[in-house]
Amino acid sequence: MMKNGQIRDIMPTLTKIAGGTLYDPLNGIDGKIQDIWIAGSKICRPPDDPEVKPDRIFDATGLVVMPGGIDMHCHIAGPKVNVARKMRPEDKRRSPPVRRTAMMHSGTLGAVPSTFATGYKYAGLGYTTAFDAAVPPLAARHAHEEFDDMPCIDKGFYVLVGNNHYVMQAIADREPKRLKAFLAWILGSARSMAPKLVNPGGVEVWKHHAAGNVHSLDEPVDFFQVTPRSIIHELAVAADALRLPHPIHIHCNNLGLPGNWTTTLETMKALDGHRGHITHIQFHSYGGGEGDEDTFNSKVLPLVEYVNAHPEITIDVGQVLFGETTSMTGDGPLGYYLHRIYGGKWFSGDVEMEAGCGIAPVKYRNQSLVHSLQWAIGLEWFLLVDDPWRVVLSTDHPNGASFLTYPQVVRLLMDRTYRQDILATCPAKVRQRCTLADLDREYSMYEIAIITRAGPARILGLAHKGHLGPGADADITIYTPNENVATMFELPRLVMKAGEVIVENGELRAAPTGRTIHVAPAYDPMDEEHIRTWFEKHYSIQFRNYPVGDEYVHEPVVIGCK
Amino acid sequence: MPLTLTYRAETKVPVEIEGITPDTVRELSLDAIRRLDIYHGNQTIPLGAMFDIEGDPSDLEFEMHGNLSGVHWIGAHMREGRIQIHGPAGRHLGSEMLGGAIIVHGDAGDWVGGEMHGGLIRVHGSAGHQAGSAYRGSLIGMTGGTILIDGNAGNEIGHTMRRGLIAIGGTCDDLIGFNMLAGTVFVFGNCGIRSGAGMRRGTLALLGPEHPVLMPSFRHACRYRPVILGVLLRQLRAWKFPFDEDLLSSEIDIFNGDFIDGGRGEIFIRPMA
Repeated sequence: MMKNGQIRDIMPTLTKIAGGTLYDPLNGIDGKIQDIWIAGSKICRPPDDPEVKPDRIFDATGLVVMPGGIDMHCHIAGPKVNVARKMRPEDKRRSPPVRRTAMMHSGTLGAVPSTFATGYKYAGLGYTTAFDAAVPPLAARHAHEEFDDMPCIDKGFYVLVGNNHYVMQAIADREPKRLKAFLAWILGSARSMAPKLVNPGGVEVWKHHAAGNVHSLDEPVDFFQVTPRSIIHELAVAADALRLPHPIHIHCNNLGLPGNWTTTLETMKALDGHRGHITHIQFHSYGGGEGDEDTFNSKVLPLVEYVNAHPEITIDVGQVLFGETTSMTGDGPLGYYLHRIYGGKWFSGDVEMEAGCGIAPVKYRNQSLVHSLQWAIGLEWFLLVDDPWRVVLSTDHPNGASFLTYPQVVRLLMDRTYRQDILATCPAKVRQRCTLADLDREYSMYEIAIITRAGPARILGLAHKGHLGPGADADITIYTPNENVATMFELPRLVMKAGEVIVENGELRAAPTGRTIHVAPAYDPMDEEHIRTWFEKHYSIQFRNYPVGDEYVHEPVVIGCK
Repeated sequence: MPLTLTYRAETKVPVEIEGITPDTVRELSLDAIRRLDIYHGNQTIPLGAMFDIEGDPSDLEFEMHGNLSGVHWIGAHMREGRIQIHGPAGRHLGSEMLGGAIIVHGDAGDWVGGEMHGGLIRVHGSAGHQAGSAYRGSLIGMTGGTILIDGNAGNEIGHTMRRGLIAIGGTCDDLIGFNMLAGTVFVFGNCGIRSGAGMRRGTLALLGPEHPVLMPSFRHACRYRPVILGVLLRQLRAWKFPFDEDLLSSEIDIFNGDFIDGGRGEIFIRPMA
């Protein structure tokens, strides 16, 4: 055994992390000094026989031990991510390259890192699991292939269904059984983790009209006798009926528009008691007149009141940080809206029967009243939600900021003096238009562990993730305490993935491929015939070529629907 | 006494010496300069492995000798000083340079003065494509400085340039001033097609003997003798840049465009006979 954090590397079958200060909220452990035992890739109970010696010991005395981080909403794979990489070579040129080593592939950073670099950088931050939030089912194979080149993390994605023609037709035909079967089929075919709704109905309208969109939950969608409200409600019902581990994941209509908070409130009401996750809610919490930036203000208070009173609703924030980034979204009209504001490059995509996509570079400036308010509104959400188990740290990478900024977000939450210092650099009107200046709450280490690990694991239904109890994946991050928590979270002392040390003091030690996490809900095979008939009539590919085969999915972990 | 760098390597693999400029080596010993890393393909080697290096770096002057057509990024990011190149130079000469002067007594490759911000580049021979251009994806290209090419140049001269002056003594190929934001480009020989495509502001003076074919999104404004043209031509004459001196006294046809993007740019051409 060696002291001071050095590892004795013998046969890595039984490992002990000794004397660390644990933050393991799913097991109710808040800063308790305790050993962790690991057998192979899983955390195990301490051996009953005191004579049993571990094969290797890590001395974590004085260090903070947490489960590996889980990013439940980011954009890291699939066609839109690839387009964003290609359309901004200038962003790549300005960023330092990731050099090839004996352990690492070369890569690029910038707002949208290349595949291998994404895996290395997540691991470097102590994150061991990440989910891409918007993949069209038709591009699922592409996303899985990119995952195969994204080492160090387990990963999965949510599949876009909110503007799917079959979904809308089933809702219009009042065929909930057919809708449920289709949802199960498409989740399994794409090997995805959850259904994602992006601007439900609005993307379809965008495809039919110049600058088209829906502006309220009750506006009809062209050619389908449905509304955004009916899409949200019926898919929430279907997801609950399938007992999906993670319910519908909703990017609400009217993202980014002044006055959109009423749309967000109506979206939550449309769930009508069913489970739902409202994502990057910061972008959906704005007051003010339509298109009128002068009246732009925060409407977090009425929304948070509703969230606090409805336990079936969970959220992630989509925190904005100041700087340049690339916006990418399945919300086609939003991409156009951003292009009109910034006047730069713009990409718009149309995925057959399924979805759309918009990409545009953006720059958040703290001299801008609107951008500063966006920054403040995100922090309001973190600080006003009563139950930290229902709010998740996200920047909607790369839309609000890169995932590499997570340590800064943690510091903003844990250090109110730092938060107020940044607020002081923003336009004075920010203080009048939101409540951030009056909020003195500071997150504890335990609460940070909830919003970055335990909470997302619970919200996603991942029983094997986000905790340090027996049976959990041995995904563990060990930090060196520091007065500046951003420094602490930027450079973990050690990161372990499935029992293997992958990062030590910022140096990559191993780059395992990681596993793919998805669901495979059961459905009546008889319903597949209807899907096949419709599919063969409309799609550009053959039905039999659509489902993603086993060969594309690396060591899959199928999460059960219970 | 300048620092003399004599290139003695014979290789078809690109050699890159980015960042080795008079201002960055002025306080280094000769041995330290010889040990500076350069790229030979994807391999890192010391500068001294390919160059004989003698002289004094403190004078902020380089004298470079040999066939440097395969040596790229000469003078990139340079802030001050002077580089004289006695022979052909490779790609990305003076890329993103901020000040100082680079004089090439020979030809230069593509991307002369790419995204240049200040200083002077003089090529006494011809240059390749994209002189004074923005690199791919950039929203703004050249923002200052002067590029003088006595001979011919290729496509996309001054692509997305924002400020500065480019003068080409010979002919140019297509897309001069493509997507130009501002600045000035002179071409004293004939030029190719689609000059000024997408330009928002700025001036293209296409003063070759043959009338260039302009795109239909440019409109004739007037014929007169702009004062600024005389001012700029006299400055070029002061730099001993070769051009037809009759232009100092002749009237010019002015076209506005590109009307697909506001039409605030201008193209000067010689009046048709």
